[in-house]
Amino acid sequence: MNHFEVQNLTAGYGNNTVLENISFETQRGELVGVIGPNGCGKTTLYKAICNSLPHEGGCYIDGIELENLSPRELARLCAYVPQRSGITIDISVLDVVLQGTNPRLKLLEYPSADMIERAIEIIESVGLTGKENMNYMHLSEGQKQLCIYARAIMSGAKLLLLDEPESSLDFRYRYQLLCSLKEWIRTNESGAIITLHDPTLALNFCDRLIVIAEGRIYAELKRNITSLEEMEEKLSSIYGPLSLQKCVNKSGYEQIVMLKEN
Amino acid sequence: MMSKSLSRNKIQIIGILTVVVLAAISLYVGKFPLEISELLAGNELHWKVFVNLRLSRTLVGLWGGFALGVTGFVYQTLFRNPLAAPDIIGVSSGASAGAAAGILFCSGFSADVLLLQITGVTFFSFVGALTAVVLALILSRLASSNSKSTIILAGIAVHSLAQTVLMVLKMVADPEKELASIEYWIMGSLNSVRMQVMAGNMVLCVICIVVIFMLHRQLLLLAADEVEARMMGVNVERLRLILLVLATLTVASVVSIAGLVSFVGLFAPHAARMITKNNRIETMFLAGIVGSCLLIIADILARSIAATELPISIFTSLIGAPFLIYLVVKGKADI
Repeated sequence: MNHFEVQNLTAGYGNNTVLENISFETQRGELVGVIGPNGCGKTTLYKAICNSLPHEGGCYIDGIELENLSPRELARLCAYVPQRSGITIDISVLDVVLQGTNPRLKLLEYPSADMIERAIEIIESVGLTGKENMNYMHLSEGQKQLCIYARAIMSGAKLLLLDEPESSLDFRYRYQLLCSLKEWIRTNESGAIITLHDPTLALNFCDRLIVIAEGRIYAELKRNITSLEEMEEKLSSIYGPLSLQKCVNKSGYEQIVMLKEN
Repeated sequence: MMSKSLSRNKIQIIGILTVVVLAAISLYVGKFPLEISELLAGNELHWKVFVNLRLSRTLVGLWGGFALGVTGFVYQTLFRNPLAAPDIIGVSSGASAGAAAGILFCSGFSADVLLLQITGVTFFSFVGALTAVVLALILSRLASSNSKSTIILAGIAVHSLAQTVLMVLKMVADPEKELASIEYWIMGSLNSVRMQVMAGNMVLCVICIVVIFMLHRQLLLLAADEVEARMMGVNVERLRLILLVLATLTVASVVSIAGLVSFVGLFAPHAARMITKNNRIETMFLAGIVGSCLLIIADILARSIAATELPISIFTSLIGAPFLIYLVVKGKADI
């Protein structure tokens, strides 16, 4: 059975249809990237999956239709990392991460000592060691992003939806977050859908890429299966003339590099 | 971790001790020279003054100030706006208009049914407050932009509307009886508070505040974006409505007893946050403590600074208005 499935999804704002008849599925253990030019509907896709935008069609996790779930039931299955969190109050990093436990807590229940211990472990694992008591508002934008990512991990959901989580991260944190995400998917037999601003990162980290253009799925690129030439052709038609090259770093790991052509 | 929680406890203890000291001063200060020795000797007059005049207004200062501080914290978090406070988003004005209507419509009851009069004023006050908050919400939803300032602008509009209603009510009020009551009530005073009439309001207020404290963790989840909060398992619309009704009911129960008290709901949560640097449950409690301190101090000054009793809002505004300017100048009031 597919881990996650989107069937004939059509969504938009008022009379403006942004996504039209989108269908795709993901498997457990898979990191799926969604890329496309600005305004192609990546965030709209997330809003529709999160049931925050009226839409046609359906989204399913392990066969369960998300449209019929209460917010609590939905949050137990699926966690969301927004491009930028709306938190604007003084709150500690630990308290932000502990917010992730909400779907598993009763209305008046507070996180247990075990949950607090687990939250501190997660904070350390995302690279914010020793910052658990720091004010979230005093973190850099990149650190805030990592904190929100830690909150999503804390929720224990089996599917993560990440909306350009690397946008505020520097080179080191960018790779740290994506490596941590891959590790989390592997150890938890979970899945994640990620939209990335940088196609090179997407090509190197995602198992599969869904390319969206003009509100439709334009191409599906599979790492190690789709040929470099085909990837080049599909991406060129979205981003303009470009070439892809395989390089090997000093550790012997092969990476794809994207170069802009004139 | 240990030392942090110790200093957190210290702040709460200092806060509680300050309130206790202020309450003791409030019990003692007044035109009638109350003597402890006379009270201990069982002097009936001294006891009457103590229970009916001093204890009642000190208690209202305590729980009323606490309630306004806590509701200010709730509104600011709920609307994700540092300027959101009962008197700024129009809730207090709505409650005032409602209470004025209550004074007008319930004045027909005889003195025997004083309790009915007071309940009527509380009821109208609550309806007015709730109408104001619903109106402010509807107006902010109608706005094309979803910025944090819309609720404040909507509050200003509702405040103006409530003032208009108040003017109309004052025009139709009997100048000899009801008008004086309305005017005196609007100025805000704890002078007319009596033990027997405040019990119901206090119980209602305590129940609401206890539930608000129980929902504190949920309240902080609403400080995030709507989609974000929803994806953390929060039924945003339902929770927001529950907290709004609880906070509005609390404000109405205070305003219907103490009249219009300005700036306590705005100042107290900010002062508490400046001390604790967070929004935890102890900060919400501290916001209540600061509110109590502020209202008791204002009441002590109101009854001791001049020959006649002054409105308490003069003193709360003297602290609150410069603080509002400070928030704007410092850029903390990012509306």
